[in-house]
Amino acid sequence: MEQAEIRRVYLLGAFIVAAFATPFAVGAWSGNIFYDRQWLMDLITVCLNGLLQGGVYAMYGVGLTLIFGVMRIINVAHGEIVMLGAYLTWVLFNAPEYLGLGWHLDPLLTMVITLPIAFALGFAIQKVLLNAVVGGPELTPLLITFGVGIAMINLVEWIFTTDYHTIPYQPDAFHITETIFVGKNKIISFAMALAISLGVFLFLKLHRLGKAIRATAQNPEVAMVCGIDVQRIYLVTFGLGAALASAGGALVSIQFGFNPETGVQYTVVAFAIIVLGGRGHYLGAMLGAVLLAVLENLVSFMVPNGSAMVEMAAYTMIVGVLLIRPQGLLGVKET
Amino acid sequence: MKQHIWGMLTVLLGATLPFSGSTVLADHRSGNVVLVGGAISQTGRYAEPAGRQYNSVKLWVDQVNQRGGLLGHKVLLTMLDDKSDTQTAIKLYEKLITEDKVDLLVGPYSSGITDAVANVTERYHMPIVAYGAASADIWERGRKYIFAVNDIAENYQKGAAHLAKQIGVKRIAIIGEDSLFPRMSRKGLEQWAKQLGLQVVVAENYATQKQGDYTALLQKIKAQRVEAIFSNSYFDDAAAQIRQLREMNYDVKFFASTVGPGLPRFAKDLGPTAEYVLGFSQWEPNLSLGHPGMKEFIDAYKARYGTEPNYHSASAYASMQVFEAAVKQAGSFDREKLRDALSTIQVRTMFGTYKVDEKGMTNHEGLTFQIRNGKRMIVWPPHLAEVKPILPVPKWSER
Repeated sequence: MEQAEIRRVYLLGAFIVAAFATPFAVGAWSGNIFYDRQWLMDLITVCLNGLLQGGVYAMYGVGLTLIFGVMRIINVAHGEIVMLGAYLTWVLFNAPEYLGLGWHLDPLLTMVITLPIAFALGFAIQKVLLNAVVGGPELTPLLITFGVGIAMINLVEWIFTTDYHTIPYQPDAFHITETIFVGKNKIISFAMALAISLGVFLFLKLHRLGKAIRATAQNPEVAMVCGIDVQRIYLVTFGLGAALASAGGALVSIQFGFNPETGVQYTVVAFAIIVLGGRGHYLGAMLGAVLLAVLENLVSFMVPNGSAMVEMAAYTMIVGVLLIRPQGLLGVKET
Repeated sequence: MKQHIWGMLTVLLGATLPFSGSTVLADHRSGNVVLVGGAISQTGRYAEPAGRQYNSVKLWVDQVNQRGGLLGHKVLLTMLDDKSDTQTAIKLYEKLITEDKVDLLVGPYSSGITDAVANVTERYHMPIVAYGAASADIWERGRKYIFAVNDIAENYQKGAAHLAKQIGVKRIAIIGEDSLFPRMSRKGLEQWAKQLGLQVVVAENYATQKQGDYTALLQKIKAQRVEAIFSNSYFDDAAAQIRQLREMNYDVKFFASTVGPGLPRFAKDLGPTAEYVLGFSQWEPNLSLGHPGMKEFIDAYKARYGTEPNYHSASAYASMQVFEAAVKQAGSFDREKLRDALSTIQVRTMFGTYKVDEKGMTNHEGLTFQIRNGKRMIVWPPHLAEVKPILPVPKWSER
């Protein structure tokens, strides 16, 4: 590594430490920090909660980064697929009750059905709309996915109206110690997010098809020469990305309220994460998600009126990271 | 091409000229029709309450046509969608007044949007009954063509503040979305808190349309040993907050929200978590309130939409009743005559008695309810209370 490169890494480390130290400094100055055991436990709870939230963020991010990494497609409809996943989960959760059976389907079990549906949807979008424009200017697929997103919002609105929905799944607190509690649904969501993203990571690392996806991401022409059916890889990648987004939707549905128009929030978060972590870098997205979520929680917890400043803090960190390292935390410099 | 543009300009100019005066009569329309128009959030974050108001307006239009219309004119309704967006609403109201030339204008939803739209309606001297707004600010700006039916935002937490005093709460937190209505509600509550001796230890607004995780904010409130939380919130934020209080196992003496719990979905979707939450209501479908025509309205609404009306539905319907009475009194659709009628008449609606002061505000008094077994039960003011509130609310571990 060049010396300049190494200097940048040090600078980046220092910047991130400073970013995380800022809420503490402001908190101490404004009297939001108490120097007792109880407050320390509160702080641990907040960090833990940020970590758990980061898991859900990562679910939005990894799908987007995968699609971008392989095809250089900026999928603006990503958040809408998350939203659709939330709706699919909600529909299946309520379906047995609706049919008069008097019970609900477990929202996690519904993934067995929703993920293949989302995969098929992504596959279809790629086949019908995007395959023709891969490798062209980046604006074309961006506009196409933008249109797809709007169509999805209106379709869901038309069917389900704009009412907010939520699934009251495992609403109780989980006692980690006497004083540290986190939501059971948050723990479950995090575990699911971790399992799914690690599963996909291992698939990319070890499975033949996963290796082919990575090869295509590195260089589609060479991959084609080596006998990889690049068109098929594109279809699988978009399907996989959509399935990951839909899994994120399932996790949203058991924690938060959603309506047809909340999709754009997930898109914004997903973009922030992949820009922070490194565009196209899978582990980078997971790292970016956790950093972003923990910082947001710390700011909200310690800074006066911090909840209104969460986004400002998050994006300041992203801009700072990009200035020091334009390719993101783990991204590879584009040549 | 150039000629074409000049031609278009002349047509445009010609179209606007006849309406630079203030009087527009229904007679200008063919077929003896009077056009009632407005824009309301049919999509977006306000769509849930706004949809209920739209339902009531539609119901009224059909009923008034069955009764023979307004002054013998058949009522035609055109309701546009502002997508819960202020800029869109402003454009649509300009269009409604200048292009569609509506005879009666009905309001949008939310205080923020109404406040922005009022600048337009004021300019064209179009009287409007603001069923979707409750911030006193709107009437503090010396406007002459906007009339209130609702209790003001500043009073939304009045009942809950009194209940806090009753059960000996000292330290409170006020949180809410960073938009006009929650800010006004907070302002009013801060005054009530001062008057009642409640100490506001945390007061924060959060960014509009935030992700939905309020745990860190609630943790901050917990660290300050807050006993009761007043949340000036709509549906999604209120729902997230009460869920997260339960996840954190944080026992407050109560959680009071402004708009969210009044929406029927709140108790339904959240189930047991929503129990004992305090909420505010302008009106409840409860015949003991004793307003004339309540039963007929409730029955008709239920028959048509398959669900009970809530206060959003009721205030919109009452506004249309007020409009109907004002048109009858004015005897025409003339904007100035209508304005005069709206500012002087007294109408007993199914929502309460409409009578405005010189600013255009009413003294309609709101209710505070507690969710009990999934139902909203009035607990304040005392003379209207259906049940005694259960306060402090039971601990999460004992439910």
